[in-house]
Amino acid sequence: MKTIGIVGAGIMGRGIAYLAALSGFDILLHDLSEDILKQAMQRISSDLRKGVEKGKITSQQASEVSSKLHPRTSLDDFKECEIVIEAIIESLEIKKETFKKLDEMCPPQTILATNTSSLSVTSIASSVGEPTRVVGMHFFNPPYVMKLVEVVHGHQTSERTLQRTVELARQLGRTPVVVKDTPGFIVNRIARPFYGEALRLLGEGVASVEDIDRIVKLEGGFTMGPFELMDLIGTDVNLAVTKSIYERTFGEPRYRPHIIQQTMVDAGLWGRKTKRGFYTYDS
Amino acid sequence: MPSSRQSIYLIGDFMLVEEFGEMCHAKDVRILYRLNSKNSQKPLPAYFKQQSSPPRNASIVVELTNSDSTVKKKNLHLLEKSIPRTTPILSSSVTTTVTEQSTWLKHSDRLVGISGFPTLISQKLCEIAPSIHTKRETITKASEFFFTLGKQVAIVQDRIGMVMPRILCMLINEAVFALMENIASPRDIDTAMKLGTNYPSGPIEWADRIGVKNVCDVLMALQGDLHEERYRISPLLQVMATGQQWWHT
Repeated sequence: MKTIGIVGAGIMGRGIAYLAALSGFDILLHDLSEDILKQAMQRISSDLRKGVEKGKITSQQASEVSSKLHPRTSLDDFKECEIVIEAIIESLEIKKETFKKLDEMCPPQTILATNTSSLSVTSIASSVGEPTRVVGMHFFNPPYVMKLVEVVHGHQTSERTLQRTVELARQLGRTPVVVKDTPGFIVNRIARPFYGEALRLLGEGVASVEDIDRIVKLEGGFTMGPFELMDLIGTDVNLAVTKSIYERTFGEPRYRPHIIQQTMVDAGLWGRKTKRGFYTYDS
Repeated sequence: MPSSRQSIYLIGDFMLVEEFGEMCHAKDVRILYRLNSKNSQKPLPAYFKQQSSPPRNASIVVELTNSDSTVKKKNLHLLEKSIPRTTPILSSSVTTTVTEQSTWLKHSDRLVGISGFPTLISQKLCEIAPSIHTKRETITKASEFFFTLGKQVAIVQDRIGMVMPRILCMLINEAVFALMENIASPRDIDTAMKLGTNYPSGPIEWADRIGVKNVCDVLMALQGDLHEERYRISPLLQVMATGQQWWHT
């Protein structure tokens, strides 16, 4: 693979573009908005400058990366790509429309990957004539720091598509894991009880927010406690993930959200980004 | 470090006695013990001294049975009749609440619950759960004992599973549901949780170290206590616990 297309130049899209360009690929970075595209390119340039200042990359590498990134507001050139990674808004309808366009634009051998974290890859694939070429490629934020990529096997994904995607993840220096297309994949699903039980323990008055976090870190050996982590992720985002998995499993009780989560969201206590969540953050 | 060498008496399940004993030995506390089963999985080191009942001068006695409440009750009776009225009894209250245990004793004010669970005992903090009968002095003595071992304590309410064992067993149960549904390999599940969300250990390899039967005991107790479908044990975990089979990842 030489050219990777990336659709959507938001946080994830530009992060994946940065990682892939650093790994030596030519990148077509698409966004409908020229402003977002411009911001993404500026941000990547400033990340590259910082990388040079910190001695992590040479100035020659930085200029090579810059020359490999090509911003685009149209999908016309995407026919050259061997793989296209979609990283647009988490809306099934909009993603389906985008995949339909990509299906028309790209030759049959092009792999069409989605970076979705909460939608069904199988459902997105249904908008494509040949769903065997659609796969999930779930990067974690920020993509060049987080080593994990969940390669999601949609109901009709072919073995070739899957293996090529796994290979690409390795070429990007990531560690791929293969997972069937199920709500929350591996990480978001298995992490549910970490938050869910902590919230129930709090709700039942077993221990305080501070004590639960202290216990989980010192007795469990976790880097962060569940409430610290919910504040970091955003209590709104965490509730949205919980709700999505709960709804997609037709109300499986293990994923049922807790009223404390809803209260936090209603109160605008969304965590670090609002300076207040389970904890208060100065400045 | 204690000035005169402290003696501790441990009675209960093999894994818990072993881990608790190792932690005490590292701080030069003398270990006397009795196991529930005579056929232990492996011999304990020589600094573990077997003794059928606690010495009267033991500074602290610890009951560490999560697997069987009948055995736990017998052990607590043995402790109560062998030691002075004021010696604190620390008892694992992960699968049986300390409140229930206190109904088994004549003098329950010296009984306090602790979070005795494999792989967590040797960590930096121990949870302490008093019952409504536990005297303040008992909590203080238990806390001071853990401080001499270089550990922190957290006082929590008396509830099945306490805090960390409950969260951990539920994480493992979810991972085993995922495994049962064949969504990913055990190795990929562990890799994903370590790299994707920075867990100290993968849930499957962690279950392997704890022993699936021990995980099941906590989940069964949670289900019995809270009566919620949420605490339903993954059929695969149940089968593995019954079959005494572990994963090999």
